[in-house]
Amino acid sequence: MEKKPTPYERVVCKNTSLYHYMKINLVFDSRNKSLSAEQFKQLIITGLKDLYGEVGAAFPFDVLTFNQTELSAILRVYHSSLVKLWSAITLIGSYESVSCAFRVTQVSPFLLALSGNSREMEVF
Amino acid sequence: MSVFMDLNITAGTDKAKLQSTIETAAHLGYSTVAINYVVEGQKKKQLIPTPQPLAELFETFPTVQGKSRPIKVLNRLTVVATDASHFRPTNEYKNFDLLAVHPKTDKLFHAACMNYDVDIICISATEPQSFHFKRSPVNGAIERGVFFEISYSAGIRDPTMKKYTITNAVNLISVCKGKNVIVASGAEAPLNLRGPYDIANLGLIFGLSEGDSKAAVSTNCRSVVLHGETRGTALGIIHTMKRPQLPTEQPEEEIPAAKKAKTDDGSLIV
Repeated sequence: MEKKPTPYERVVCKNTSLYHYMKINLVFDSRNKSLSAEQFKQLIITGLKDLYGEVGAAFPFDVLTFNQTELSAILRVYHSSLVKLWSAITLIGSYESVSCAFRVTQVSPFLLALSGNSREMEVF
Repeated sequence: MSVFMDLNITAGTDKAKLQSTIETAAHLGYSTVAINYVVEGQKKKQLIPTPQPLAELFETFPTVQGKSRPIKVLNRLTVVATDASHFRPTNEYKNFDLLAVHPKTDKLFHAACMNYDVDIICISATEPQSFHFKRSPVNGAIERGVFFEISYSAGIRDPTMKKYTITNAVNLISVCKGKNVIVASGAEAPLNLRGPYDIANLGLIFGLSEGDSKAAVSTNCRSVVLHGETRGTALGIIHTMKRPQLPTEQPEEEIPAAKKAKTDDGSLIV
């Protein structure tokens, strides 16, 4: 009997992956605060600089997507600097002296995993 | 896996703010929170506050994210002690589920670790520690099952406080080797709170290992709550409680919804 080709591809990752992806969300007290993507990244870099100094501010990380209405973004960061980036994001408390907070929704070594959230999934 | 807890949410005068803070905590995934009442020792004859009845706070408690269970709220008292006379175990302390002490001097820290009947010893987050943590009292506290608390929200509010918080936390953790540490928020507003996984990550920069850091927001907090429960008992062996009056009438058995058949006119046939 002829075997049908599987509709999926199986990928096994044996080593720790090079990048980690973080899905984050910025929240403000008042709703009507808007940022551009550049300001958003600058805010994170300032946070890194506050906690880790010049060396910290020089970490390479990328903002892959940024949603200006929801202020949500996906970041890509090297595995080795994930802890530093995450802790810097945690300790950011204000933007232009307006209090704010970053909510980290998901962290994963696979970008595909961020496409859905099992915690908010609705099963039909 | 153990559930996450945040054992320090500052009780302000603003009820709406407290409510929204607890709602945020539930949304972030904390299953238990403790409302913290602070007594400053140096003010003369300050009355120990009575905890606000929890039923007044919420009609229905907010549901914890990912758990479909309502959040559990406890009351906690923190005594800020600058002098030995400030900590007097009175009956009023028994109104609270958890009891914490914030010692300001070396002597009091030693006494708090070795003798005081408390659940939590707070570590200063807003000022540099005026004394060194010594190994013997810290080990004594670990042996007695008393936990040390690091609160992080002052560090979020102010960059200078951030430095003090990290310094004091690193000092403590190098002495206690990551044992018996809990990390709590001390939040006054919803935006001072952070998610449990964020805090587990933050623990890494305090010098905790990955496992200890996660335990600091989950299993260690559970130990604190259990320690608080046994504090009111005799050596944790005997516990007396008033038995609730049994209802005289048995309530009618509820028929599960699935067994009810619905007719066209909307009436139910059982």
